[in-house]
Amino acid sequence: MENGQVLQVKNLTKIYRSRRQGEVKAVDNISFSVKKNEVVGLLGPNGAGKTTIKCICTILRPTSGEIWIDGADAIKNPRAALERVTAVLEGNRNIYWRLNVRDNLEFFAGLQGQSSRSVHSQIDELIEMFNLKEKVNAQARTLSRGMQQKLAVACALVRNTPILLLDEPTLGLDVETSYELRWILKRMADEGKRTIVLSSHDMNVVQDICERVIIINQGRVVVDDQIENLKKLFQASSYRFEIDGQMNGSLETQLQQKFDLVKISKNGQKTVIEAEMLEGIRVYEIIDVLKNNGCQLESVGRQYPNLEEIFLKIVKGEKK
Amino acid sequence: MRYAYVLKSMMKKNFLIVWRYPFNLIAGLFSILMVFLVIFYGAKFVGGNNPNFGSTLEGIVMGFMLWSFIIFAFSDLTWDFIQEAQQGTLEQLYMSPLGFGWISACYVLTFLLINLTITLGMFFLMMAITGKWLHLDLLSLLPLMLLTIWGVYGFGFAMGGLALVFKQVQAVFQVFQFIWLLFIVAAQPSVMESFPVVKFLPVILICHGNVWINWRQRLTGRANHSDI
Repeated sequence: MENGQVLQVKNLTKIYRSRRQGEVKAVDNISFSVKKNEVVGLLGPNGAGKTTIKCICTILRPTSGEIWIDGADAIKNPRAALERVTAVLEGNRNIYWRLNVRDNLEFFAGLQGQSSRSVHSQIDELIEMFNLKEKVNAQARTLSRGMQQKLAVACALVRNTPILLLDEPTLGLDVETSYELRWILKRMADEGKRTIVLSSHDMNVVQDICERVIIINQGRVVVDDQIENLKKLFQASSYRFEIDGQMNGSLETQLQQKFDLVKISKNGQKTVIEAEMLEGIRVYEIIDVLKNNGCQLESVGRQYPNLEEIFLKIVKGEKK
Repeated sequence: MRYAYVLKSMMKKNFLIVWRYPFNLIAGLFSILMVFLVIFYGAKFVGGNNPNFGSTLEGIVMGFMLWSFIIFAFSDLTWDFIQEAQQGTLEQLYMSPLGFGWISACYVLTFLLINLTITLGMFFLMMAITGKWLHLDLLSLLPLMLLTIWGVYGFGFAMGGLALVFKQVQAVFQVFQFIWLLFIVAAQPSVMESFPVVKFLPVILICHGNVWINWRQRLTGRANHSDI
């Protein structure tokens, strides 16, 4: 593998064909790679992340492209790839509801060809780590949704693959359990024992756990960067202007036409203008326009967007 | 060795699931037994005291046992396959590095063991209730059952796979219970003589096991019960 990359996706395309919708390109010629022990978030507004994850864990056969997992060709030799990767798909599914916690963990270890004796201590550790000790003999169907989801992640971990794929791990969880699961995943990420690729619509999860984010929009990779870099970039280009009083309609139209991505809203007696400008010089142009129209500028400042806002800006910007 | 661990895990999982829902199992067996009793005593009532009717009653016991064995094999596999898909565990099974082929084989072996135990238990129960004790040569019968049941399992996999793609297929599963019954009836010598093509139908071997049994008779020189 090049430069310690454990996962390489090259020119991956997945087309779904249906009678009703015809051809739908869920993933369109995307390429990316993930380094060992890196934690990467896959974001996409319409299931592209899920499709990519399913292709990586060999459940879906891509229409074209290559997937290499730690030197194994996942398309030509899926069994070798599955020695190195496993996935938790869709929250609290993926476990046997009629088996208890320990039986589930032992079963999934066995599915990987491991004896229950060899993973006994590891199962104890996972039960401790996921706070499932009190429910160890309870059938999965009697557990809360949060506990079921924690068990599903634990079942993936007991398979001992170096790469873990997670699809919506916190979907449908209450705030407390979501925090707990995020904390566990973050601890795993910080320990650097596994490479994690995570697909989620919960930006807080991605922001908390991932170092890097890949945004897929309309089947194509539109952003592949460190979250910190994205924040800096959007912080540098996002500005907020506050004007005393209301703004007339013709000025609003003028601003909208002249400056891209301008959002104008009212906040009590004030008018707030939010704008994204890659060239800082354009800030002065907005100030000039406001001044020439007799507006009293109260404040100008940079905005500090979170990942959710960045994601929406990228996706909307991409559509434009 | 890793293959053995997978087999052990699959067996343990499937046995635990059956064991932890005893009511489902008991209710299923009870309803099958009730159907059998209705058919058996219905036939006995129609046959009356006709001395030639005795072998027909034995045939009903044997035929019903075979039918329930086939039904268990087909429906357990198909419905479990669908249930695995619904609860998201089918994808997890597929992700075993030892291959889905081996996982499927483990599935079949486990169900075969469970089904054989249940069917033979039911068979003895049926004989005890009806008082029609058949002399069974298990050495002749078991290889036939094992050889033939693969076709039923294969069909179960095919139907399960179809049900994943086309959900409406599930609606016709009940119909297949009667198609299997038709195949068992078709194994009667008179039908086979009139329509030789019937020999190629699935499960005919198990129902018309004379080939194997006669061969064993020649080999051992013993007379066996071949009234199958």
